[in-house]
Amino acid sequence: MNNEDQDIESALRSLRPRPPGPGVVSAIGRDLDAPVAAASPRGVILRWSAGLSAAAACLLGFFLFGRPPVTAEPEYQLVRAEQPPASVDVFAPVRLEDGSFARPVRVRWSNETQWEDRRTNTRLIHYSPSEQFGLIPMETY
Amino acid sequence: MNDAHAEQDWRAWFAEHGARLRLIARQWTRSDADADDVLQEAFVRFWKHQRHLPGNPNALVVTSIRRAALDLHRRTDRRTLREQVVSVDAAAVADFEPEADPRLQALARSLPSLSAEQREVVVLKVWGDLTFEQIGAQLEISPNTAASRWRYAMEALRRLVTARTYE
Repeated sequence: MNNEDQDIESALRSLRPRPPGPGVVSAIGRDLDAPVAAASPRGVILRWSAGLSAAAACLLGFFLFGRPPVTAEPEYQLVRAEQPPASVDVFAPVRLEDGSFARPVRVRWSNETQWEDRRTNTRLIHYSPSEQFGLIPMETY
Repeated sequence: MNDAHAEQDWRAWFAEHGARLRLIARQWTRSDADADDVLQEAFVRFWKHQRHLPGNPNALVVTSIRRAALDLHRRTDRRTLREQVVSVDAAAVADFEPEADPRLQALARSLPSLSAEQREVVVLKVWGDLTFEQIGAQLEISPNTAASRWRYAMEALRRLVTARTYE
């Protein structure tokens, strides 16, 4: 850099840029001097909503991911298999088309089987009710 | 430059540096109003979030101004910053206070005659107080390119001022 360049540079430094208008200072003041405003009702509602949403998300995450890991295949074991005594209902005799008599009988029973996975304390119950209806011929004299 | 890292009133700091920062903002904006908007946004961002950062606060605030100017251009239209800078008109002479010295008057009138590339290097070096390396980082050019633009600008200004002082 020669002396002439330095001369121009020092002349440039003596130029005085125009200051920004008072509007700029006021606008900056609004941003930097603004006190922390009291929370508006809308702000309170928004903050509470956000907080509750976050809490709900945490709770859901805990239930979804906080449980002990479950292997892909359940380990059910047979713990119960029973067939309670059948109930038999005998109805009054009826006359059939051919003139003979018969007594209607209804038999009802059920089968119940239970398996249990002790790791997850879950139980699988299979219940199958059954019913059969029949006629017992009667001899008449 | 006062130490912006220290706890001090922003008004005092801005009163000392606001004028030269506005001139820097003016290089990357199309109008005085845009320059004021950019300066406001950049200064608030700098004062709130960046003045305590390590490093040269001068470079930080210039970076903040450039980023705010680029943001403004993106918001307003899709033209590039270079196109915007080239559009700066001769009214840039009004960026300076009136001077009694005819040579300084000629210098102020000559600045807008520089190319936009040369003018931004001059403004960043003289009023931004940046080194060629820092100017290169700001403008994404090499320090040598910045120095070269500076030399051409000095040569052009010398010629222009000589011609205008005696016209």
